[in-house]
Amino acid sequence: MASAGKLHRHQARTAYLFITPTMLLFLIFTVIPVFMAFYLSFTNYDVLSHMDWAGWDNYRRLWQDSLYWLTFKNVLYYSVIFVPLNILISIGLGVLMNQRLRGIRLFRTLNYLPTLTSAVAAATVWVWLLHPEYGLVNGLLSYLGINGPAWLAQTETAMMSIILVTLWQSVGSNMVIYIAGLQGIPDYLYESAKLDGANAFQRFRYITWPQLRPTTFLVSTMSIIGALQLFDQAFVLTQGGPGNVTKTPVYLIYQQGFNQLQMGYASAQAFVLAIAILVFSFINMRLNKSEEPVV
Amino acid sequence: MQQRIIKREAFYVKKWLSVASLILTATVALSACGSSGGGDKSSAPASSSGSSASASETSSGKPVELTFWGDWGGEGQKQFETMVDAFNKSQDKIKVKYVLQQDMITKFLTAATSGGSPDILFWDRWRTSLYAPKGVLHPIDDFMAKDGLNKGDFYDEALKELSYQDKLYGLPLTVDARALFYNKKLLSDAGITNPPATWDELEQAAIKTTKWDGNKLLVSGFSLGDNGLFNMYLQQAGGTMLTDDGKTNFNNEKGKAVLAYWDKLLNTDKVYKVGFEQGLGEGTDAFATGKLAMTYTGPWMLTTYKKYGKDLDFGVVPPPAGPNGDKGSVMGGFGLVVPEGSKHQQEAWEFIKWWTANKDNALLWAKTSLNIPGYKPALEDPFFKDDPLWKPFLDTLEFAKIRPQHPGYSVMEGDALVPNLQLFQQKKQDADTTLKKAQQRGDQLLQDNAQAK
Repeated sequence: MASAGKLHRHQARTAYLFITPTMLLFLIFTVIPVFMAFYLSFTNYDVLSHMDWAGWDNYRRLWQDSLYWLTFKNVLYYSVIFVPLNILISIGLGVLMNQRLRGIRLFRTLNYLPTLTSAVAAATVWVWLLHPEYGLVNGLLSYLGINGPAWLAQTETAMMSIILVTLWQSVGSNMVIYIAGLQGIPDYLYESAKLDGANAFQRFRYITWPQLRPTTFLVSTMSIIGALQLFDQAFVLTQGGPGNVTKTPVYLIYQQGFNQLQMGYASAQAFVLAIAILVFSFINMRLNKSEEPVV
Repeated sequence: MQQRIIKREAFYVKKWLSVASLILTATVALSACGSSGGGDKSSAPASSSGSSASASETSSGKPVELTFWGDWGGEGQKQFETMVDAFNKSQDKIKVKYVLQQDMITKFLTAATSGGSPDILFWDRWRTSLYAPKGVLHPIDDFMAKDGLNKGDFYDEALKELSYQDKLYGLPLTVDARALFYNKKLLSDAGITNPPATWDELEQAAIKTTKWDGNKLLVSGFSLGDNGLFNMYLQQAGGTMLTDDGKTNFNNEKGKAVLAYWDKLLNTDKVYKVGFEQGLGEGTDAFATGKLAMTYTGPWMLTTYKKYGKDLDFGVVPPPAGPNGDKGSVMGGFGLVVPEGSKHQQEAWEFIKWWTANKDNALLWAKTSLNIPGYKPALEDPFFKDDPLWKPFLDTLEFAKIRPQHPGYSVMEGDALVPNLQLFQQKKQDADTTLKKAQQRGDQLLQDNAQAK
């Protein structure tokens, strides 16, 4: 017994040794900056010359900043459409790509490819594809007799275009996560369900979907966080326009901090965004709550 | 699989880090500040000790090494290196090295307070009103006086853009302004012999050159794609963007005249379609490929359009005058500045002077980069005088004005004015609402961002 305890302590020590570098990096680059940002949000820090205590001024200004709240409205609209579609499409792809067929690896790879391209490069190509007169998308639509819109230049379609592009880019990796989840479901569950006469839909509804709950939790949480931090695509595709409909909180934080040198105010904006992410992740955790321990 | 999931997580962590990077920069800068006892204090001794150090180095015969930061890569980098090499060869006391910084301003923010500052900075001039008040740039008035340089040799507006409260912080390297590019073939096919010189002529030429095929716009007569040019149109209508006391000044008859003109071109004459040019890069550029008869752009496009050779026969004229004959264009461009944190300010100044205030070198720069230099004597050269494509720009520069020097101007334009103009162009709101909303939001942003100190 004594030697077992010794071994245990030894293993624990080794484990701590291994995680120390990561924890130090986490501390220096994540924990401390978060507290610093909280502190800076109460100052008028400008990086270069000075820093005075400003009390609640930044938050008061934030409260009246209609553009900042508009950007939240924009990302909420984005999330409400993006997150469910993302889950539906990637679970669908995951189920399809989980078949044991010849050449399925090739299809998996093809579906995963868009994820590998950089957001900026992909967005640049999509600007061209979505061109109202010469773009491929409207070209295809015109074969069907549809006169396509000026996707990125119109207020009605600009956000939808960004949803389209980010979906195209993110379903691949979520598909991989779902395939991993699907392969973790024991086969005997399906076999016994088949014996009981369950059809394909019932097997999906009562076995696959509940078994994938932890996976869905992971994917949806990541999507929500990603949605609230939308920046690259909106920046390249539309520069926040037309008429501010695609401006996002991160876009404003960047602008306020680095272009206007108002780090104090930018920190306040960033802190409110962080809290929003926390709240939505918490809501998502509640919605996905299951009997089995999640993650 | 597990590994891929971790990668995916790493991707999100990376994204999160990009958000947190601003916080991060702040931390790094702050800790640096703390250790040196405040940014203001640290800069003064640095400069004095720097000059003594440089004096000893020069006397020992070893060249002083200077770092020159810029954010031009590719062709631009080669152009800079040509100039730097020429300077290094011209004398043996100073050796300059060009360092490409893709995210220059962000890096400068930390370098300015924590040491490691470059000696020369390639400077987008409009930033001066934001950075000079923070004391991170070194005024060059004393250098100018000592070397007897004449301010009259430079474009006045460009110097103004490099100044803050009667102090000059650098010299202009390039000057530019928008002028009207027109496709000679499309205009002559439409029976137009002289390029437009007034708003009315511009409108008529645009109507005649536009071609529609049902709902599809084949050739647009005139580009209305860049809402940021409102400033220029407002000048042509006889107005100004800001009042002297820093408020917006476009919600009036002059602003309405601009919007009425745009509305007529876009909705009555139908010479353009919103989104027509979006995403058309070099090679598919609407003007280069003959899908656009006229557009406002700057000298930086000359190289691109010249590449098309015979396929694109184009001319340039100064921007057409407004209803009352007012002329207007917006001047922009780059300069060279010395950061306060540089340890070799005197040597940095020598380099800037050599490049921007010498006829031969300014001309070498002009020919290398195809930019208009800020030093007027260089423009007397046949290279500029005899080229029909340069002349309209030089004429335009005579009346072009810089953007207002208000620290909040760019935010006002980007977040308040342009979005409302976009809604107007899409017929989501009328002219009165557009100007009223742009004014309200714009004044708010100007006020919120007025404190540059």
